[in-house]
Amino acid sequence: MSAPALVASLVLSAALAVPAAGSPPGRPTDADCLVCHGDPGLKNSQGRTLFVDGGGYAASIHGTAGLSCVDCHADLAAVTDFPHAAPLKPVDCFSCHGDEAAAVAASIHGRPGGPPAQAAVACKDCHGTHDIRSSEDAASMTFPLNVPKTCTSCHLGKVQTPRGPEFIEGYLRSVHYRALSKLGLTAAASCVSCHGGHNVRAADDARSPVARPNIIKTCGGCHAGIESDYREGVHGKAYAKGSLDVPVCTDCHAEHEIRAPSDLGSLVYATKVAAVCSRCHDDEKLARQYGLLTSRLKTYAESYHGIASKAGEVRVANCASCHGHHDIRPPSDPRSSINPANIAATCGTCHPGAGANFARGKIHVVSARTENRWAYAVKVIYLAVIGGLISVFLAFIAADLYRRLRGRWTR
Amino acid sequence: MDALTGGPLIRDDEVFLRMNRTERLQHILLIVSFSLLVLTGLPLMFSEVPFVKAVFAFGRIFYFRGLVHRAAAVLLIADIAWHFAYTILTPRGRENFRELRPGLKDARDAVVLFGYNLGLSGWLYRRGVLRRFFDRHPFWRFGTPPEYGRYNFIEKLEYLAVAWGSLVMIVSGFFMWNVELSLRLFPLWLHDIFVIAHGYEAMLAFLAIIIWHMYNVHLNPEVFPMSRTWLDGKITGHQLRTLHAIEYRKIEAARAERSGLPHQT
Repeated sequence: MSAPALVASLVLSAALAVPAAGSPPGRPTDADCLVCHGDPGLKNSQGRTLFVDGGGYAASIHGTAGLSCVDCHADLAAVTDFPHAAPLKPVDCFSCHGDEAAAVAASIHGRPGGPPAQAAVACKDCHGTHDIRSSEDAASMTFPLNVPKTCTSCHLGKVQTPRGPEFIEGYLRSVHYRALSKLGLTAAASCVSCHGGHNVRAADDARSPVARPNIIKTCGGCHAGIESDYREGVHGKAYAKGSLDVPVCTDCHAEHEIRAPSDLGSLVYATKVAAVCSRCHDDEKLARQYGLLTSRLKTYAESYHGIASKAGEVRVANCASCHGHHDIRPPSDPRSSINPANIAATCGTCHPGAGANFARGKIHVVSARTENRWAYAVKVIYLAVIGGLISVFLAFIAADLYRRLRGRWTR
Repeated sequence: MDALTGGPLIRDDEVFLRMNRTERLQHILLIVSFSLLVLTGLPLMFSEVPFVKAVFAFGRIFYFRGLVHRAAAVLLIADIAWHFAYTILTPRGRENFRELRPGLKDARDAVVLFGYNLGLSGWLYRRGVLRRFFDRHPFWRFGTPPEYGRYNFIEKLEYLAVAWGSLVMIVSGFFMWNVELSLRLFPLWLHDIFVIAHGYEAMLAFLAIIIWHMYNVHLNPEVFPMSRTWLDGKITGHQLRTLHAIEYRKIEAARAERSGLPHQT
């Protein structure tokens, strides 16, 4: 905190302390408490430190607001005899922060239906104790850059979520965490950006921001342009109708381990796109249900694009190069990149000047009988010629060897 | 004859030139370019095979595969252009071309050789089966192997296969190399045919070389482990007499004529 701000906060706390001084006599002041608790060596019988950093508290959001020790440790307000008896009652945050406490109680961190005081995760677990600061303060445990550390202090340790620590660790490899930790971008998504703060819920809870019905809006909170693109596309339109089978953001980009598309580890890295799309587009059940064309991956994999892509060549077309990504449209849509009227332009991005001839043929399934009967005929003729000619060669070789062996036998 | 000339017109250990240095060099360039093209191209037909996958997974190897493939293609085209010029412009080239032209005799030779090797007709004839048929049509007895000129039907077929294969591969490959040009000229379905033809023609060429050519110049007990003609260009009088009897008699006749002696044909 800068010097003027410190001065201002001290003045403010002094000003607020005046009415506090006028409160019932006998209420211990902060100074009274710090007589003992200001000693860094103060420990209880179990050896736990009882030290309270007075300066740290004064700089905290409660300290700057002029709250005194006994405002939170209310059971000490009436105590006059020091040292006081231990243990104290747990601090009751709810008397002031009722809404937040109710939210926590209803969340996965609370015990739904139970009293706020018995939440599985206490306020202090995320916010700290004496040094609680505003989440806009860089030193706060809930400052965006610090949130991952705060959450992983439990979720990579004593608390096992159903999908295990690897799933959570994935976030630490994500583009979001990279932006937070390497670039210091506070706008980048931390845990709470997607899961909520006080109202964290299980992902399968329909009220969770990461539940399927809400995930598009959640990601769109930051990625507004992409959300509107998605809603324009064939997937987004079905999503809006409530389909649970269409892909949402996390199906293609991963959940925690969202990486930049240029990152080799990304699910949507150029050479991996085909695998992502074919999870649904090569699925027989989904194909039957929605009338999709099947074996898209097979036919792509047989093409030069597919073979080169599989070999790690990133400059060849993958699904998204031609079909787009967030706003994929059916070919019947005049705005679709694969509408016959737009194919020349779409292919032209890689094959400049190729022109309208690109639309005169099928992109997938080049040699299937139903798609390109001339190519199919060429393939069949070749197979027949190869089979026939090789058989003739082998017959001639066999006859030649037979004659030589016979000559040896009869000699 | 021997008594008159003091020896045969062609001695068995006499050495003839079957492939001159130009032809040998053209052949070696063909081996190099063809091998490189097969190595860098054919794996694309088998991209699902684990070994191929493992090789292609190695760094930028797929990119270099393309570079080498196109470089080898340029080498092959240059070799063929050279061979074209050689065939048109030199007397020996023209003579070779005439000798290589396939005719009805070649088809007959193939049938006769196969029948002779099989020996079925001779066996039947000796047992008196269909004797009247065989007496009336001795051709079907396949009693003697065919006699060949400078090039037998096997060699002619290989030459034709290289010519046809190169034509298909160079045309289709050129348009695959220049997709943009191809699609400015042709519809996509025609370009797709280039791609299909390129792949299957490659398979055909590869199998033909591996099976047919490798047997005839390497594994055939006659030449095993290898005919050295492609290296030194030489063929002996004995080989000429047994393998290319018509060519042998032609040389013999020419010599007899030059020495002013009457000759038998």
